[in-house]
Amino acid sequence: MASRSRLSQAQAAWLLLTPFLATYALFLVYPFFRGVWISLHDWNLLAVAFNPDAKEFVGTRNYERVMWGKDITWSLFNAPILQTLGLVGLVLSVFLRRMNRLSRFNAIALGIVSVLLVFLPGFHPGEGGRWYDRRFWPTVGNTLVFVAFAVPGVTISALLLAAALNRETRAMGALRTLFFLSQVLSVTVVTLIWQIMFSPRQGLIANITETLGGTPINWLTDQQFAMAAIVIATVWWSLGIAMILFLAGLQDISKDIYEAAALDNARGWKAFWFITLPNLTRTISVVVILQIILHFQVFGQAHLMTQGGPNDSTQVLVRYIYQTGFRDSELGRASAMAVFLFLIMGSFSIIQFVIGREKG
Amino acid sequence: MNRSYYWLVLGISIPAFLWLVPTIWMVSLSFQPNEVLARTTSSTFFGLIPLPFTWDNYAALFTFGQTPWWFLNSIIVAVGMTLGVLFVSTTAGYVLARMEFPFKRTVMVICLIGLMVPEQAVFIPLYTMFAEFGWHNSYHALILPRMAVPIGVFLMMQFFKAIPKDIEEAARLDGVTWLKIFWYVMLPLARPAMMTLAILTFLYAWNDYLWPLVSAQQREYFTITLGLASIQSNFAQSEGLGRVMASGVIASLPVVILFLIFQRYVVQAMTAGGSKG
Repeated sequence: MASRSRLSQAQAAWLLLTPFLATYALFLVYPFFRGVWISLHDWNLLAVAFNPDAKEFVGTRNYERVMWGKDITWSLFNAPILQTLGLVGLVLSVFLRRMNRLSRFNAIALGIVSVLLVFLPGFHPGEGGRWYDRRFWPTVGNTLVFVAFAVPGVTISALLLAAALNRETRAMGALRTLFFLSQVLSVTVVTLIWQIMFSPRQGLIANITETLGGTPINWLTDQQFAMAAIVIATVWWSLGIAMILFLAGLQDISKDIYEAAALDNARGWKAFWFITLPNLTRTISVVVILQIILHFQVFGQAHLMTQGGPNDSTQVLVRYIYQTGFRDSELGRASAMAVFLFLIMGSFSIIQFVIGREKG
Repeated sequence: MNRSYYWLVLGISIPAFLWLVPTIWMVSLSFQPNEVLARTTSSTFFGLIPLPFTWDNYAALFTFGQTPWWFLNSIIVAVGMTLGVLFVSTTAGYVLARMEFPFKRTVMVICLIGLMVPEQAVFIPLYTMFAEFGWHNSYHALILPRMAVPIGVFLMMQFFKAIPKDIEEAARLDGVTWLKIFWYVMLPLARPAMMTLAILTFLYAWNDYLWPLVSAQQREYFTITLGLASIQSNFAQSEGLGRVMASGVIASLPVVILFLIFQRYVVQAMTAGGSKG
């Protein structure tokens, strides 16, 4: 009786896999390829919605219109600071590897980043030339600036907090909960809170500055401070997960090492510098890469707090994709940018995967 | 506990208080009358203490405005997404952890690659797809795309791999079918992992912003996260600051309560998801 309805192992396996594979194929794999396909078309959101044939195959022209320009040339020292930094990084990666101060993986990673830093900022329009899309590269630049401030901000403060809170007492547990709490809020609640916090007329920061006799800063409408305001809100919002990961990493460091070090009079800061940090390098790289992936996709903060302004200074990549697609209805161009975003995110995911593999 | 420990606690309590100030301020503002807030936001101790006090903002939320409706939408979407993710992740996770079948490696690799695709890279094609189906402005449009995310499968797979094999093998020798083993033996064992995944998914669903923003254009299908965004740009003029803050508090309550009760699971989920996925 039972054998009639019995499935073989393979049949049962495929039956149980079907719900996931079906949704996965339909809502992730297919959309991904469709996105690439859209990026190869001149595809107007509204026109195609009314007439599905109103799209035109244009090959890679969208990519060209987004990323390239007229008479683009390359030169060393077009962006002196970045490119010099890249050259220094390149020399360092070779040198430190020779001295054996860097693992092979880290040396390669540093090398690749350095080469890109020398190479990419070198492109610029030659005489009489121009970018086809003036806003794209500045937008990518803003995104990188945001990442460059938010990631170290989150990582360093989370690391210090985790080291201080790494004790199993009730007070420490309560403090951990407290620092983690802002992480569970939604981006709209976070921007709601910080928009009003930063407001020059009603904001808490302005009220305190005025009481102390200072002039309030127009955080969100002043080009000098808008990005800083977004970074502050972001660090406040997303410190929790980094802290949790560091706490998990700290748990793995044996207590014996600290006890041995204490005999040699290494406590407090000394212990942190000479024991905690070296034993935490893998966790630090995991956190940094995770944060880079997370913050490169920043959208809500810039969209809701500053609307990309003032003067495009907080316009970030995902917001530009959203606007190109849904305000300007140019889905083809927006998709080309989304593919660009995917390539960057994908390379960081591969690095993350490799680091994850190194341990186990 | 020595002296330096108490100094440490005291030392961290100060930044901890500063950390909490923005949240306290939101809660405090939500209990102050709008007429007062229009004049000044720092009545008592920079507005951190809600005096003069009123319940009016909360009462107003439930009598006019769409906040209760959006709140309900959020519950439906978050619960629906959680159940969906649990279903597809436990089944697939179990198969990948314990069963042998042709093309298993291929399936694993395809799922792994999916971890690299961010939501932001597929939201445009998803939008056009759902538009062709005529699915926008519906609950399933808000729920379905998130079910396709492989991170839950990997979380469940890791969990099932850690369960000793003998329980299952004993059942197999007794001639119990695979589906029955999955349902009666493995699922009850997997409850803690399912709990972790459920909370993580619920938090994500509740706070999701970009996809609801493009998919739900009618206000009736806004989630609370999206609705809050739609009223915050003009808060000072139309709605009154106190009421917007009250919406913010209401929007945060479920996730904050959930977090405080199930903190252990959230921390586990973040640690597992963070270091592996």
